[in-house]
Amino acid sequence: MTSYNASRRYLYTGGIMLAIVVGFFLLGLFWTPYGINETDSASKLLAPCAEHIFGTDNLGRDVFSRCLVAARYTLLVSFAGVLFALAIGTVAGLIAGYNGGIVDKIVMIFSNGIMCFPGILLALVAVAVFGPSLYNVIWALGLVFAPTFARVYRSSTMELLGRDYILQAKVMGVHPIRIMLVHILPNLMSQVLPAVIIGLANMTLFESGMSYLGLGVQPPAASYGKMLSDAQSYMVAAPWLIFFPTLMLVFYILGLYFISEWVRTSVKGGSR
Amino acid sequence: MSYKGHILEVNNLRLSLSNGKGAPVRILNDLTFNVRSGEILGLIGDSGSGKTMTALAVSGLLSDFAHVDSGEIIFEGEDLVKKSPKERRLLLGEKIGVIFQDPSSALDPLQTVESNLSEIIKLRSNNKEEGRERILKMLKTVGFEDPEETAKRYPHRLSGGQRQRVLIAGAALMNPSLLIADEPTSSLDTVTSMSIMQLLHEMCQEMGISILFISHNLNAVRNFCDRVMVMKEGTIIDSDTSWDIMGQPKSAFTAELLLKSRLDPHSLGITQGKAKEDAPVVLSAENICAGYQYSYFRRSKTPLVISNVSFEVKEGESVGLIGSSGCGKTTLVKTILGLLKPESGNIHKSGKIAAVFQDPVSSLNPAHTVRWHLDEALMAAGIKMSADEKKNHFLKVLEDVGLSAKHLTRFPHQMSGGQRQKAAIAMCLVQDPSVIIADEPFSALDASSQASIIKLLSDINTKRGTTMLIVSHNLRVIKAMCSKVIVMDKGKIAEAGDTDEILDNPKSDATAALLKARMYEA
Repeated sequence: MTSYNASRRYLYTGGIMLAIVVGFFLLGLFWTPYGINETDSASKLLAPCAEHIFGTDNLGRDVFSRCLVAARYTLLVSFAGVLFALAIGTVAGLIAGYNGGIVDKIVMIFSNGIMCFPGILLALVAVAVFGPSLYNVIWALGLVFAPTFARVYRSSTMELLGRDYILQAKVMGVHPIRIMLVHILPNLMSQVLPAVIIGLANMTLFESGMSYLGLGVQPPAASYGKMLSDAQSYMVAAPWLIFFPTLMLVFYILGLYFISEWVRTSVKGGSR
Repeated sequence: MSYKGHILEVNNLRLSLSNGKGAPVRILNDLTFNVRSGEILGLIGDSGSGKTMTALAVSGLLSDFAHVDSGEIIFEGEDLVKKSPKERRLLLGEKIGVIFQDPSSALDPLQTVESNLSEIIKLRSNNKEEGRERILKMLKTVGFEDPEETAKRYPHRLSGGQRQRVLIAGAALMNPSLLIADEPTSSLDTVTSMSIMQLLHEMCQEMGISILFISHNLNAVRNFCDRVMVMKEGTIIDSDTSWDIMGQPKSAFTAELLLKSRLDPHSLGITQGKAKEDAPVVLSAENICAGYQYSYFRRSKTPLVISNVSFEVKEGESVGLIGSSGCGKTTLVKTILGLLKPESGNIHKSGKIAAVFQDPVSSLNPAHTVRWHLDEALMAAGIKMSADEKKNHFLKVLEDVGLSAKHLTRFPHQMSGGQRQKAAIAMCLVQDPSVIIADEPFSALDASSQASIIKLLSDINTKRGTTMLIVSHNLRVIKAMCSKVIVMDKGKIAEAGDTDEILDNPKSDATAALLKARMYEA
């Protein structure tokens, strides 16, 4: 009983945290109190007040407006990146797991090759070579994350191959591609879903790190990592510049972790 | 310490399961029984009757979702229901030993047999030498000839029967007064389960351990148990000495259970499927050799699992394939089905070959409904039909296998093992195959589902004229259903020919050994 309630608590806490970030994103699509790049020399580094509830930065820009808009990039990069990684990982993992043998060896050599470098380093190199831009960040991070998904798909596929219903499909003469996509893939959702959620969280961390280093989303567009990097020199004088973007990142990442914890426990307890 | 009279008394035990939502479901209903000192008590019943729940309740291993509503479990004079979880845990292993169904998952694969077993002793004593001696002695008791060597082995180097022996050694290590055995032989083959049963019997007699033996193998119960209880819907409906229960069942339910489990060919109406004189050969194999290649890079010669196997199956015939575990039956089936490439030899098939596998849990894809499965089978066979035709075809096939239209939208987890196996057979029939190959299609089912699957396969063979190749441990079923039989031994065909002739006058040692183990089979 206790585990049941605990897993519910994960769902509610994580859900509320994510709802705040998604709320910011939706609001930011239609409305911001001030223009995000609207500078006001009369109100620089204002502490949170009635007119600027999150305060203003060194150029007099409204931090609340920038937080609203930055949610857009965080969500975009994390979702697009994971989708890209998932697409590559699914194809590679299914093919490697289903065929085994030499095909499996080749796929695994590639995936281990990528995984033995620190992910952020590879992404940084890719962006340094192709130039810093939003799209380069997305595909570079996607490529770095793909092996994680490929491994999940590969091992789960291998496990399913011995099941009677897959043997049955082979005996009936179903095409291998159809076996992979229709017979195997739907059964892997429970393993892949937690990996996707954790992937979203990790992707956000990487993206913020890259933006912080100036290689991610380019100014004047706002992103949490970039806002933190800009606020660094004013950390003591204007702590709200650090506080609010950090809070948003914490909500998003911790919320995702909590949700993944809920998925994990409820799938485990709910099976059979 | 032995306790005179009843070692275990369960009085009016009520137990329900709840999953946090909805009303709790009552599983055990006013369950009352007792185990006498030094006896083997058999507990039989259909699946879902609460046998395993009884075992879990007595051993104190119930999950969080189960709750004892009322009643008492008195073990050696003390009520276990009132004890704290910690006290019960200490009791487990020391006074109460438990053996579970699946020996493959009950041992830690990363630890040797000795360290697996020493976990049990560590909790209670610190004397390492004494513990080791005790383990070696117990391994010897359970029939390992070289306990020193066995103790060093890892679980993957033991066979299923050997693992079950190690688990029995573990359960008996602290010299408990009660041993609960929940289907200890159902995942083992006949020859192995016979030896496990004999071991339990000896332990009961020599060490004075009382055993609560749960099984749906009625023959084993008849041969080894002093008393038998029959369970139905969470309550005991019949209980007597095993001789009386098996000889003169008091309730209609028990009589029916016995009849079904006997798999009596006459009461089921099974006849041997024979081929006509001039029937064409639909499946034949010439000198096939096959094995498994372990590594792509290391092209070393791995030993062949089957070698020089040749046989012919004629249209309309029903052929049995028998042999002890590990003799290559499944490898042969996989090779015929094209799941494994033979190293040499030829296989000729005419028409479509369909397969039914053993495990009802994995025979259907858990992500899809029955309708999807039938659709998929139809599509794979390249048969095109209009929506109406398809629907009628499906309904006809479902009716043939004993399911109905409502099962079309069911997912596998919404059906019982027998129903799933029927759906798997329906998948075969949709394709209208010329041959159906069934690899142990009923061995994982309970007695009443077994009977219905056997009857179904026999009907498909005799009424539709579909050729059958049936792999089974159950010689009685093979004798009733198949006109021809192939006996395999160590990857070769030991003998083949007319079923009655071979089973009545075995010429090979392999057949003789199978017949000897037969008296203990379900």
